[in-house]
Amino acid sequence: MSEATAAGGTEPWPEELFTDLVGDRAAEWDRTGRIPLDTLRGLGAKGLLCAQAPAAHGGLAFSSRRNGELTAHVGALCSSLRSVMTSQGMAAWTLRRLAGPGQQAALVPRLTGGELAAVAFSEAGAGSDLSALRTRITRDGDEVVVDGAKVWTTNAAYADLLVVFGRTEDGAGAVVVPVSAPGVRIERIEDPLGCRAAGHADIRLDGVRLPADALLQGVDRTPALLVTTALAYGRMSVAWGCTGILRGCLTAAARHAKAREQFGVRLADHQLVARHLAGLLVAEQSARRACEHASDLWDEGSPDMVTAAVLAKHVAATGAARGAARAVQVLASAGSRDGHTVARALRDAKLMEIIEGSSEICELMLAQHALATAG
Amino acid sequence: MTKTSDQAGAATGPGAAGAGIADELLGFLAARTKTTWEHDQDLFAVGGMSSLFAMQLVVHLEKTYGITISGADLMLDNFRTVDAMVRLVHKLGGDRAAAAAGTTAGE
Repeated sequence: MSEATAAGGTEPWPEELFTDLVGDRAAEWDRTGRIPLDTLRGLGAKGLLCAQAPAAHGGLAFSSRRNGELTAHVGALCSSLRSVMTSQGMAAWTLRRLAGPGQQAALVPRLTGGELAAVAFSEAGAGSDLSALRTRITRDGDEVVVDGAKVWTTNAAYADLLVVFGRTEDGAGAVVVPVSAPGVRIERIEDPLGCRAAGHADIRLDGVRLPADALLQGVDRTPALLVTTALAYGRMSVAWGCTGILRGCLTAAARHAKAREQFGVRLADHQLVARHLAGLLVAEQSARRACEHASDLWDEGSPDMVTAAVLAKHVAATGAARGAARAVQVLASAGSRDGHTVARALRDAKLMEIIEGSSEICELMLAQHALATAG
Repeated sequence: MTKTSDQAGAATGPGAAGAGIADELLGFLAARTKTTWEHDQDLFAVGGMSSLFAMQLVVHLEKTYGITISGADLMLDNFRTVDAMVRLVHKLGGDRAAAAAGTTAGE
């Protein structure tokens, strides 16, 4: 019950809170492409959108494992809401690693206090290749000026703060941009394939002037280490979220296969259907074990967590994409309308094979690891 | 590793503790990559290690020397060579943990 206590004594378990809050509204959020802003702010103010943030900054100080289990629970309910958690958590983590102590003390409590944040990496010419970033962060006296354009930033349509990666005179860094600053324009993507209510948006930054300390202290000659560090959290979160997608698909498919009859027997008694259920169970358990392993390494402070996070993300995202397709196949017309758990899963999981390192980029990193450790 | 404990009085100086840290890191690199590295060799030169490996080094240094590497210290050049990592550990006050870590690595 330590988590319940951490969340405020008489508060329900975070899992129950999310279950009650989402209720049967995930379908509506998917169809309308919106989660009510006060819902997100309420969760944020309880520290639940970035539960690994330290207690000193108003966070719940969850371990990676505990936060992962919560992330999977939310992933099974609504991948759009889970994506918002991924963004908020990644913003908090990026501040913890790239910000100086004063910057952390000023900014992290805002993320545990109800304000929403997004992390902007991708640009039209810089997706998998983030070394090609062109957004410029220029010093001008005691200010910095930000110019550039970001695409497909998750949670940006809801966000109060944007953590924007870009080029500095010395190399690369990240700057914290309030969306209220003059020169910031958020253009919501109205028709995303999946995670439709996750607030994806393109961002224009035209001569955005900020105090110099908006630039986080972590500035490097290249973006590689900064970006790798920030993405480590995102990969863990996406991996756990995909485990949740698989859990949702497995439950939906198994219930349907037990309830529906064709040719005089339950669907589950048709061997080719049963095979789909076995495949879903294998995928869900494989993803969960990979996530548990990576989170445990994260919590131990083991350097093996870095590769384990990539592996977990890859296993979970590819497993979820295939598993969601199986679930739609089992439910057939019963699951083929927008908003249904498995219909959402099919679209949401496909995006998870693209975000936070595409499946192909993950495979390249894993291959590189295999080569580097072979001797 | 006995060198560090024999010269306990000198362990606060960068020389003795630095050698202990360098040995430990060279051992870590050798175990991870099945390759022998020099203390001044660029780990990230062409054909070398990735930024993913750099992050492994960050986590390893934090865990082994009880330090936190964040903000301005989180730059690739701090992990480019064993010598650079030894300097970073000194700067962040991880020296005192070095003797203990050296003993562990030697056993």
